[in-house]
Amino acid sequence: MNRVVVTGLGPVSSIGIGVSAFTDGLREGRSGISPIRSFDASGFPHRNAGEVPGFRPEALLDRIDVACWGRSAQFAAAAARLALADSGLDPAAVAPERAGVVVGTTSGESVVVEAVTAQQVESGFGGMDPDLLRQVPAGRLAHAVSTELDLAGESLTLATACSASNYAIGYAYDMLATGEAEVMFAGGADSVCRWAHAGFYRLGALTADACSPFDRDRSGILTGEGGAILMLETLDHARARGARVYAEVLGYGVNCDANHPVAPDRGSIAACMRAAHRNASVKPADVDYICAHGTGTPANDSVEAQAIFDVFGDRVPPVSSIKSMMGHTMGAASGFGAIAGTLAIAHGFLPPTINWANPDPALSGLDPVPNTARQARVRVVQNNGFAFGGNNAIVLIGAVE
Amino acid sequence: MSGVVITGWSTVSPAGVGRTALAERLAAVAPGVRAGASGPVEPPRAEPVDVAALSDEPLPTPTGHALVDFDVRSHLGRKGTSFYDRATALSVVACGDALRDAGVDLDDTNRARLGLVLGTSLGSFRSTSDYTRETLVQDKPYLVNPVLFPNTVMNCAAGQAAIRHGLRGVNATVATGSLAFLDALRYGSNAIARGYVDAMLVGAVEEFSPHRAWTTWLTGRPDQPVPTGEAAVVFVLTRAEQPAWAGVRREAEVLALATAYGPGGGPAADRALTGCVVRAVRRAGVDPAEVDCVLTGETGEDDTDEFDPACAALGQVPTRIRASRLFGRCDAATGGLALATFLASAPAGDTPRLALITSRSPEGGTAAAIVRGWPGAGASDR
Repeated sequence: MNRVVVTGLGPVSSIGIGVSAFTDGLREGRSGISPIRSFDASGFPHRNAGEVPGFRPEALLDRIDVACWGRSAQFAAAAARLALADSGLDPAAVAPERAGVVVGTTSGESVVVEAVTAQQVESGFGGMDPDLLRQVPAGRLAHAVSTELDLAGESLTLATACSASNYAIGYAYDMLATGEAEVMFAGGADSVCRWAHAGFYRLGALTADACSPFDRDRSGILTGEGGAILMLETLDHARARGARVYAEVLGYGVNCDANHPVAPDRGSIAACMRAAHRNASVKPADVDYICAHGTGTPANDSVEAQAIFDVFGDRVPPVSSIKSMMGHTMGAASGFGAIAGTLAIAHGFLPPTINWANPDPALSGLDPVPNTARQARVRVVQNNGFAFGGNNAIVLIGAVE
Repeated sequence: MSGVVITGWSTVSPAGVGRTALAERLAAVAPGVRAGASGPVEPPRAEPVDVAALSDEPLPTPTGHALVDFDVRSHLGRKGTSFYDRATALSVVACGDALRDAGVDLDDTNRARLGLVLGTSLGSFRSTSDYTRETLVQDKPYLVNPVLFPNTVMNCAAGQAAIRHGLRGVNATVATGSLAFLDALRYGSNAIARGYVDAMLVGAVEEFSPHRAWTTWLTGRPDQPVPTGEAAVVFVLTRAEQPAWAGVRREAEVLALATAYGPGGGPAADRALTGCVVRAVRRAGVDPAEVDCVLTGETGEDDTDEFDPACAALGQVPTRIRASRLFGRCDAATGGLALATFLASAPAGDTPRLALITSRSPEGGTAAAIVRGWPGAGASDR
C-alpha cells in the first residue's frame, strides 16, 4: 500500500482565494458572509450567504472557456488550478493517465438548473437553451478539472451531498494507495442558489445573519459556496520530486444512517468515526483536533457532539466549525475542512468557531475554540462530513512521521 | 480492481419490473438472440410507447421508452413512499427486487457490511427544477414544501433505498451521466476490494419526465432523434469468496474496469477509449479475441464513436449491442441496461461469454468494463 500525502491546496472561498489568503482568513477568524448578490433575494426573510463575490474565473483559469462551463465547474477547475500551482508539480512530469480527479458536490450546476428553469417559466420547456442544458450534468464538475489541467486519468463526480468532498478525498486516497494513480485532485464544489436557500429556510434551518455553531443560542446555517481541491499524491512520488509535503491522508470511513433523510443519527455517526479511526490506524487519543461538520443547527451540533463524546469519552479534543466563517458550502464543505485541517497541521494552529458567545450546558466538555484561532501542536486531525440521505464520511489527516 | 461477482440483479424498465420481464421483452423483440448457436446477435430496435400519461406538460414527442403504468405503491405500499420522486421510486423498487433475486439474507449482523452506489446524471431533474420553479412563481419565493427539499439533492434515491432496505454500509451516488453506471461499478468494486463492505448494490437510474424528454430532444441530433427512456438497474456485487448471506449464486464476474479522459471528441478521445479497453483486457487477463460482444452507449448505425476504438483495441469485430436501441436514451442507466441485456440474453450453451461494456461522455470521459457471464445463470430458474 502506498502512503498518500497532501502537497497542494486550492481553496476558492468567501474568506480567501488561494492558500495564503485562506490561511490568513482562518487565522483571523474572518467572516465571509455578505448580502446575497447571485440571485434576487429580496423576497426572502433572510438574505445573507457565504458567496464568493471576488471570484473572477477568467483570472484563474488557463484552458477552459468560462462561457462553456457552469459556476460550480468553474469553482472546481479554479480550485484545482490553484492546488496544482501550490504543489509546484510540473504536470508534464506525470504520465497523464496516472493523474485524475474526484469532485464532490451536493447540487452540481445548481445555477444552470435555475437558469433553464427560469426559461421554462418564461417560455415553456421548448424555450430552454440547448447550450445551457448541455452544462447541466453534474459530471462536468470533474470534467472541467480534467480539461483545465489536461489530465487523462479518472474524472469522477460524486454527489453525496454535504459530505461529498470527504467521499472524494477517500476515493482518491484509495486510488493512490492501491497504485491506480500517482496524482489525484480531490475535493468539492457548489454554488449558492435560490432553491437551497428556500429549502433550508422552509426546513427552519436557516439563520438570519451569523452562523454560531456549538453556541447555546445557535439558530442555523447560512448557505455558502466555493471550490476546495487538494492535490494528493503518493509519498514516493512526492519525495521523488522533492515536493513540500503538508500532511498525510491516514484513511477514512463512510457509512449510512439508513434511518432518516435529513435527521442525523448519533449512533451511526459514532460508528463512522470508529470506522475511520480503524481504517487510518488511529486511536481516539491520537486525535488533536476535530474539524467539525458543525452546521450551526441545534440538531446537528447536538448530535455531532454527543457522537464525539461517545467515541472520545473524557478525552475530547478541541472541536471547531469553519462554517461559522464561510457558511455551509455544501458539497465543498468537507473539502474546506480538509484544507483547514491540513493547514492546522502544517502551521500549528486551530481554526476558530466565530460568532460564539455562550456555552451550551448540553455540550459541556466541548471546546469549540471560540472566536480566536489558537496556536497548538496538531499531529492528527479528524475531518467530519455528514449529509442528507444519512451519508456520513470522515477523513483522518496526520503530520508526516 | 477485479474479483467481484454478481449474485443477482433486477431492472425496472419499460419491460417491467424484474429480470424475467426483461428476458421476455428481449426474447419478444429478438427471438433469435437466445437461440443463436453461433453467438450473440444485436436485437432489432424496440418501438417506444405512448407516454402522454406521464406529463401534464406538452412533450416534444408523443412516445418514449417508459414504464407508463409504474406505481410505486403497488410494490412498496403507501407507507414511506408518498414523497418519493420517480427516480427514487424506480431505484428503491429495483434495489429490493435485486436483493430478492440474489437471495440476500439481511439482518442486523450484516447490514453495515452491505452498501449501495447509484449512478445518475443530476438526480431528479424534475424534482430540482420544479422546486426552483416554486421559488419563481409563488408570491413568496420561500413557499416551497420542506418535505420535498431532500428530493432536490442528488443522493436522494440512494439514501431512501438505504432507509427502505436497511443498508448501513458505504452509500454513494456517482453523477457522471452516461459514464455513471460503469463508474458506480468501479466505485462499488473498490469498496469491496478495500474491505469497507462485503457486498454492494451497484446500479444507476434515470426517470422519464418532461424535463428529460425536452433535454433529449433539444440537445440530440435532429437528423437522428432517439426517444427518451427511463430505467433503474441494480446488481448485487460481492467478493469472489463471498459470504453466504450475499447470495450463493454466481452468475457473472466483473473482471476489470478502467476509466480515462480525452476531450475534444477526436483522436484524443478515441485514444482514451482505446487505452481503457487495452488496460481492461490486460487486467482481466483474457484473450481479446474471445470477447463475444461489445455493448456500447451509441444509438445509430453511423455512430461508431465507441465501437470503432473498442474494436481497434480488441483487434477483432465482435457483435455490437446498443442498449439505447432497446430502451431509448437512458443516460446514466444505459451501461446498466447493457449489462442486464448481456446477462438476460445468455444462450443456453455451456461456455462462459465475455462482454466489453463501454461508455463515453460528450466532454471526454470514457470507461470500459470486461464482464464474464457464466452459463446457465439466466432467468429461467427464477
